[in-house]
Amino acid sequence: MAITEEPPLELEAGDPLPEYAEQPLGVLTRPSGNTGIASWLFTVDHKRIGIMYGVFAMFFFLIGGLEALAIRIQLAVPGNDFLSAETYNQVFTTHGVTMIFLVIMPLAAAFANYLIPLQIGARDVAFPRMNALSLWVWFFGGLFLCSSVIIGGWWENAPDGGWFNYAPNHGVAFSPSKGIDFYAIGLQITGIGSLVSAVNLIVTCLNMRAKGMTLFRMPVLTWMLLITQFLLLFAVPVITVALFFLMFDRLYDANFFNPDAGSDPLLWQHLFWIFGHPEVYILILPSFGIISEVIPVFSRKPIFGYKVMVFSGIAIGFMGWGVWAHHMFVSGLGPISVTAFSMSTMLIAVPTGVKIFNWLATMLGGRLKFNTAMLFAVGVVSMFTIGGLSGVTHAVAPADTQQTDTYYIVAHFHYVIFGGALLGIFAGFYFWWPKAFGYKLNERWGKWNFWLQIVGFNLTFGPMHILGLQGMSRRIDTYSEGFGFELWNLVASVGAFVIFLGVLIFVINIFVSQRQAKHLPPVGPDPWDARGLEWMTASPTPEHNFDEEIEVQQVDEFWFRKYDIDDDGTVHRIATGDEVAQPGTATGVHLPAPSYWPMVLAAGLPFIGYGLIYNLWLCVLGGLLVAAGSFGWVFEPADDPDAHHGGHDDHGDHDDDPDTDPEAAAALDAPEGADDVAIESEEAPVG
Amino acid sequence: MRRLRLPAALLSVVAFVAGCADDAELDTLKPEGEYSEQIDNLIDPIFIVAFLVFFLILGLTLFMWAKYRVTEYEEGDWPEQVHGKTSWEIGWTFIPFAIMAAIGAFTWILLSDLNATEANALPIQTAEGEVMWDPHVVVVGQQWWWEYRYYFDADKLEELDDANGNPAKDLPPADIVTAGQLVMPIGEEVELTITSRDVIHSHWIPALNGKRDAVPGRFSPWKIQANDPGLYFGQCTEFCGLSHSRMRMQAVALTPEDFQEWVTAQLADAETPPGAEAWLEAYRAADGSEVEAPEATGAQRGLVAFTQNCASCHLVQGVNDLTYDGATQVSGAAPNLTHFASRTTLAGGILDLYNPDGTLNRNNLESWLRNPEAIKANAAPERGMPNLGLSEETIDDLVDYLETLGPRPSDEMIAATQVD
Repeated sequence: MAITEEPPLELEAGDPLPEYAEQPLGVLTRPSGNTGIASWLFTVDHKRIGIMYGVFAMFFFLIGGLEALAIRIQLAVPGNDFLSAETYNQVFTTHGVTMIFLVIMPLAAAFANYLIPLQIGARDVAFPRMNALSLWVWFFGGLFLCSSVIIGGWWENAPDGGWFNYAPNHGVAFSPSKGIDFYAIGLQITGIGSLVSAVNLIVTCLNMRAKGMTLFRMPVLTWMLLITQFLLLFAVPVITVALFFLMFDRLYDANFFNPDAGSDPLLWQHLFWIFGHPEVYILILPSFGIISEVIPVFSRKPIFGYKVMVFSGIAIGFMGWGVWAHHMFVSGLGPISVTAFSMSTMLIAVPTGVKIFNWLATMLGGRLKFNTAMLFAVGVVSMFTIGGLSGVTHAVAPADTQQTDTYYIVAHFHYVIFGGALLGIFAGFYFWWPKAFGYKLNERWGKWNFWLQIVGFNLTFGPMHILGLQGMSRRIDTYSEGFGFELWNLVASVGAFVIFLGVLIFVINIFVSQRQAKHLPPVGPDPWDARGLEWMTASPTPEHNFDEEIEVQQVDEFWFRKYDIDDDGTVHRIATGDEVAQPGTATGVHLPAPSYWPMVLAAGLPFIGYGLIYNLWLCVLGGLLVAAGSFGWVFEPADDPDAHHGGHDDHGDHDDDPDTDPEAAAALDAPEGADDVAIESEEAPVG
Repeated sequence: MRRLRLPAALLSVVAFVAGCADDAELDTLKPEGEYSEQIDNLIDPIFIVAFLVFFLILGLTLFMWAKYRVTEYEEGDWPEQVHGKTSWEIGWTFIPFAIMAAIGAFTWILLSDLNATEANALPIQTAEGEVMWDPHVVVVGQQWWWEYRYYFDADKLEELDDANGNPAKDLPPADIVTAGQLVMPIGEEVELTITSRDVIHSHWIPALNGKRDAVPGRFSPWKIQANDPGLYFGQCTEFCGLSHSRMRMQAVALTPEDFQEWVTAQLADAETPPGAEAWLEAYRAADGSEVEAPEATGAQRGLVAFTQNCASCHLVQGVNDLTYDGATQVSGAAPNLTHFASRTTLAGGILDLYNPDGTLNRNNLESWLRNPEAIKANAAPERGMPNLGLSEETIDDLVDYLETLGPRPSDEMIAATQVD
């Protein structure tokens, strides 16, 4: 593992570790090895953790997608009884919660985990075991949430208050099933995962960058992901407070949101949307980052206005905190607040528009190669534009009084979250697939994937603009004949199946491409002639990322090692990607060792959740697991003294200036010293 | 396939316009009142600007696809490496900013207009003589129907209290209490005071104005206005639990004369079925205890059945008003039925009470009484109307009795209730 922490005792380098530290708790030996399922379950490697985020998120994507299909079947014709009102309310709630918290956020986390260390030239994140912890806490929290569908009967106990879960409808009096308890506790658990991950990735970006990789040389993707982590860091605590109140209201008869006891139900709305609106940017900014990497590569031009791209992202991140009440224009806030939030919401369109024009300017005059990754990226530019523009139409608060809580809003945010975030993530899949797995996804299948998805998407959500303006309310389990809703609902339902087919083709493509790859030459480190440091090592990425530290001198460092620009502006190749890239064959690189404890700790949390809902004794079990995980973790040295990695000789030179040496700085700042993650050229002999 | 994009986009615009053109009673783009017209006048140009911006961006994308696409990269074929152009970037920061500022200015103006109210005086004949009424209706949402309360004495409105607890559960007695249909005079600014007895609902008559949430513990001001007499459909738009989709309402806009007629009728106690007067008097005097019932006509038997099965939740002024003390639901309320048959819908605005030919829709009324949960999912008895297990004879009698709770609405309103 790239990261080791100092053992609890002060040891001189080379001293044998005491017995208890080698065998924590004296019972278990440390997991080891690079193959088999255990090497995944207990890994602390940021790349494997990233891939697992992706795989688990795709599993939840299947669940959320099937729920979407159930919704569209129910709404295909008026007066349908495919789902009862009771079931429908649970299905649309879990669809929203799943897609936001268990699909888009973790898919972004997959890219963040995999790519941030690679893009900044690091060996791993700052705290690898905490990285594993955030994965497992999130995953177990997700399973806990989903288990509400099964526990206590099939679709009897799932949350039924909508993802926004307004007070006082979320109280026991109005939602007597256990569903909203699962919601309140489950989202607190996944929130822990998000927070841990946010802290970890922020420290990584700030402390682990390679030599010369100043903040304004970081790729746009890393920048957007860094902003996202700051948004998470500040937003998640707010929803956690709200969920904590809600949990006490429901489980212990508190009155935080009970109007009969004099509480103001708008308290929940404020807390929820102060989290909820930055959440929108948490969902979309990673995708903005992804396409800012893809479009330059397939335009053969650098990103247009790098600094403006970064600053507009920062601006969106800041302004995202000042617009939450636009979700509450009709709640009776009073005209002054409504006017102020209406203005601030319009203002946020400006930096967003800047990004769109900058992407277009990046393409202008370029050499555009429309392979699947580029198609998805350009798809984001046009589809997100629709979502952004419809957003402006309901920033106009008087118009919003007609539009809010209708299908117009459903159309709007699906254009943002599906057309923006998810299509961008698919662009990322196609773009970085060869880096992660060593083979390209098939382009033929890829194009089918893209076109089916984009056509299905527009068939599904385009008509919802019309339905909303025709007055169809959101969150209704059925509608009556005669209001003019029949045609477009049917079209939308057909579209949903086309999307499903498109995603299915993506999954097929993975297997087809994997089989084909066996008969193709290896993709090499740099299959796209790309620009970022992540392409400067072998594909798939070796466990230790880079053989030796890269010294960065500019934005797009890798590209400038391949090409030179003459004074007259012509581009000359000076080296091939294969020549520049590191072979990834270094041996004896000191890497963090796997650990059981993050998973043990994470596994305790759902038991505490079940315990709070059903039987407090389960809390004892959960608490014991958490305690065991914490103690095991504390007493376990971060690196495995038994693992072969060339000994501890590389710990010798700690006399660097902590201001310039990320390793030393991290070691000083961080409780789990990050001393080995930063790459020391002397520790890794280049093969 | 990319070539199909532009035609497909144009087609969708055509379809969009066509889609809005058919008969959609909740359409937000077909205003029928002053305020909805103001909103429409603001948003229509913004829609056009939005379309133009979208087609600009789509057009640029297509242009670049046509002009700059290559199928394979050739070694050495690199375009000029442009890293940015400050003047352009300033341009696309400030032009959108200017557009937004313009939209923002108009938004600001309209917002202050929509939130301002004027003091009007509409002469209304009440039991106490003529009063000058500033048209005002207190709107109370609960799962899953709307109550409308009329106070002709403006001082009563002062008693609405938004202090602690949920004051909507303890409102001062109103002159008129009705359910499901908001009756209003045309041409007048009708102020609304919107609140809720349980969860948050949202009151929305798209043809007359945007929506405003009904928040328990709050009295939110809003206003509506209708240009012409008619029946305007509405729907609860804030998710309010199990039967949110089945919580509807209509605004019934009447000429001032018709409105006065309606007020006069509503102020009166409910009609008593002929021949049941003596029994009713005894029932009221006995304060709810057993009184031997007349069993001659269906309506007479229905009155008795009402007192036995319905009166613990529903109020009919002139029958059980002496004993009525709120309903058993969480909200503490059930629709006031005093002039039930003067409305054109029932069950929270979802079922037609009259057939297109003007006769009572017995079928709807009977199936509602037979098993309300089958029509409107609920969690009775706490929330929603329970299945009372009534016999077919009792249902028949109740329907006969409910039909007497008129006066019958006008043929125009009955016709306007039909959606097609």
